[in-house]
Amino acid sequence: MTTATDAPVRPRAPRAARAVPLTAARLLRIELRRGAMPWILPLVAALFWFDSYRPSTAMPPLWMWRTFWNMGQGHTIVDFGPFVAGVAAWMGSRDGRRGTADLVRAAARPRYATQLTTWAATAISAVGAYLAFVGVMFAVYAHQGVQGSPPWWWVAVGAAAVTAFSAAGFAVGAFFPSRFAAPLAAFGSFLALAMSSQTGFRSQSGWALILPTNSNGNYQPMSGIFYPYLPDLPIARVMFLAGIATAALGLLGLPAQAGGPSLRRAAAVVTLAGVAAAGTAAGLAGTARPGPHGMVIPALHDAANDRPIRYTPVCGHTAGVPVCLNPAYRRYLPDVTAALAPVLAEVAGLPGAPARATQVAGRYSKGEGGGGQAMTINGRPPVLRMVLDSLSTLPGSTGFTAGREATTQFADLIRLLSVHAFVSAGNGAGTPAQRAVQAALLQGAGVPFAAQPTALAIAGLPPSGPSTGNGPGTASGPVYAAARRLAALPAAARHAWLAAHLAALRAGHLTLAQLP
Amino acid sequence: MNIELTELTRRFGRTRAVDGVSLQAGPGVFGLLGPNGAGKTSLLRTMATVLPPTSGKLRLLGRDPGGYGPRREIRRRLGYLPQSLGYYPGFTVAEFVEYFGLLKDMPPGRVPRAVAVAIEHVGLGDKARAKLRTLSGGMLRRAGIAQAIVNEPELLLLDEPTAGLDPEQRVAFRGLLREFGQRSTVIVSTHLVEDVGAACTEVALMDAGKIVFHGTPEELTARGEGSGAAGDAPLERGYSAVLAAARSVTAARA
Repeated sequence: MTTATDAPVRPRAPRAARAVPLTAARLLRIELRRGAMPWILPLVAALFWFDSYRPSTAMPPLWMWRTFWNMGQGHTIVDFGPFVAGVAAWMGSRDGRRGTADLVRAAARPRYATQLTTWAATAISAVGAYLAFVGVMFAVYAHQGVQGSPPWWWVAVGAAAVTAFSAAGFAVGAFFPSRFAAPLAAFGSFLALAMSSQTGFRSQSGWALILPTNSNGNYQPMSGIFYPYLPDLPIARVMFLAGIATAALGLLGLPAQAGGPSLRRAAAVVTLAGVAAAGTAAGLAGTARPGPHGMVIPALHDAANDRPIRYTPVCGHTAGVPVCLNPAYRRYLPDVTAALAPVLAEVAGLPGAPARATQVAGRYSKGEGGGGQAMTINGRPPVLRMVLDSLSTLPGSTGFTAGREATTQFADLIRLLSVHAFVSAGNGAGTPAQRAVQAALLQGAGVPFAAQPTALAIAGLPPSGPSTGNGPGTASGPVYAAARRLAALPAAARHAWLAAHLAALRAGHLTLAQLP
Repeated sequence: MNIELTELTRRFGRTRAVDGVSLQAGPGVFGLLGPNGAGKTSLLRTMATVLPPTSGKLRLLGRDPGGYGPRREIRRRLGYLPQSLGYYPGFTVAEFVEYFGLLKDMPPGRVPRAVAVAIEHVGLGDKARAKLRTLSGGMLRRAGIAQAIVNEPELLLLDEPTAGLDPEQRVAFRGLLREFGQRSTVIVSTHLVEDVGAACTEVALMDAGKIVFHGTPEELTARGEGSGAAGDAPLERGYSAVLAAARSVTAARA
């Protein structure tokens, strides 16, 4: 073979170590400028507004309530996840779709490093948009004077979820580089989220708590008001989602063309570390148990988070009794004092009548924002302790429902629960005699017999009269007959009978026949 | 030698796309001719380290691309224009060239100047900020050439580089080839024999995965003289004569 002339290879200056990050930064800048994520953001913004922002702003002006819907139930993640996964898959499949695979493969920079840069730009855009959208929503809440404190840990969970969706979607696109990768990744993500939500509604314990849309145990009504948000479950979820992201990104580095042997070995280690992190997090979630203020994971729990948040209560007076609330509930003080006034007047002077009413934190039980008994009376002098955050009927234009009806419903509920506590009926329905006295006192306090079955249903208490299918029941039957007899007595006579029999009534020793 | 191929074979299943090719080349412009399916693109992809050879030896720029470290070093000094150029439609010309300059591990500080020079070289200076999706086919080809030369490669592999270029651009491009050929090894795969005649110092003709001719353009032209082979230009007649002779030998063996 004849050849052209021989010539030595030209020497080149060795690359400086600092050139590598600078190269990555420049590539990242180009990818950020030309990535596909910004194109999809208007659609995500519309969905975010419709699904997360709009419903939450109609909720009571308390951080817990505002964010339980959109962050606790994972709506912000649902709004972002499928789109982010789809766009990431689109970017991951880019070289295959665009026919640039040969060009990229013939370049000196390891393919794995190039892919990570493209993914990083996609993830930065997605997470940046997520934080911006949530930031705007939080800013609006703050401007509206929403009380309590924001659930920052759940923002971290959302950001980790967006990152995980971007990594998983990108891996799908990189391994299946076709135009169908993006819709498949988006649809697959949507299915995964739908299944996660369904599992979330059913599973209140075990590994399923790790799912980012499982609202069980996310945070409790008193969170951010009486006690800090417990970070145990969020930490496990961030670990889980970061593990998924890490494993997906590690997989990209395993193929032969990804880079050199050391890089591929590192990618294998990264993949294993991601799988281990996700598995460990799921295992930790399996050890979660309900604590008094939220879901506790013993291995992650910090006792400092059990300390209550210090506050100076805001107080009003009604019927000579001080009524004190957490300042976060300041705007509800007039409603609460107005609701309590007739009850306190009705029981004034009776043994065990509250000398003070104060708002306290509820005790967490399993379920979505679950709580224990809403009101109790105990201590010397007796104090009415109200767990207002377990009530789902807070009134006002930013309450669950607006208008006069909502205010009446809230007042009926406050009166029912305070009377229920006064007759010591406990967490259940109470004895028939207790229910009858409760009904009579409520009638005297302005809650007519006819309205009581509805109030009992809203409070989650069993009906005192006959049940009518799915309805709250009717104010009839032996309990209401006895109640009507007691209510028909002159106030002084009723008062005297109660003063004489309250101890036996509370002990559960009275029968309906023993009522006057 | 910048390129040393010894009995290089590349198979795709039962098909031998490259069949025992041996070749050496130093600086200069090397033309690779051949009909469709002759194996030119597979040979170029192998030399671009995109495809590993099935068998045989390959040394590029004095290194064995079988090892990751040497392969990466070769790629730093390599320019490659594939036959079907993929591109990112949303990138501007400058971003596209800069992107591949960075992927070639160029020192970042040198990249902006190198990008500007490469774009000027291919006559796209006034289109540097234009999105690739807005360019014509010929302009895209020139953008592809710009990314190939941005790192001033010591080994430049061009697969059908003049496809889609207008006559004026083709003339300018030949000048560019000659300029690069003075300091680098340039391999140009093409159907257009006039490009070979105008710019190449050496030429090889491939058919059915084998090199059936290797010499200067003048030697190829001489093969056609008096052969009665088809062709409008002397070089085309040489091309046809060599191919016909190679195929008759193959047929006789069969």
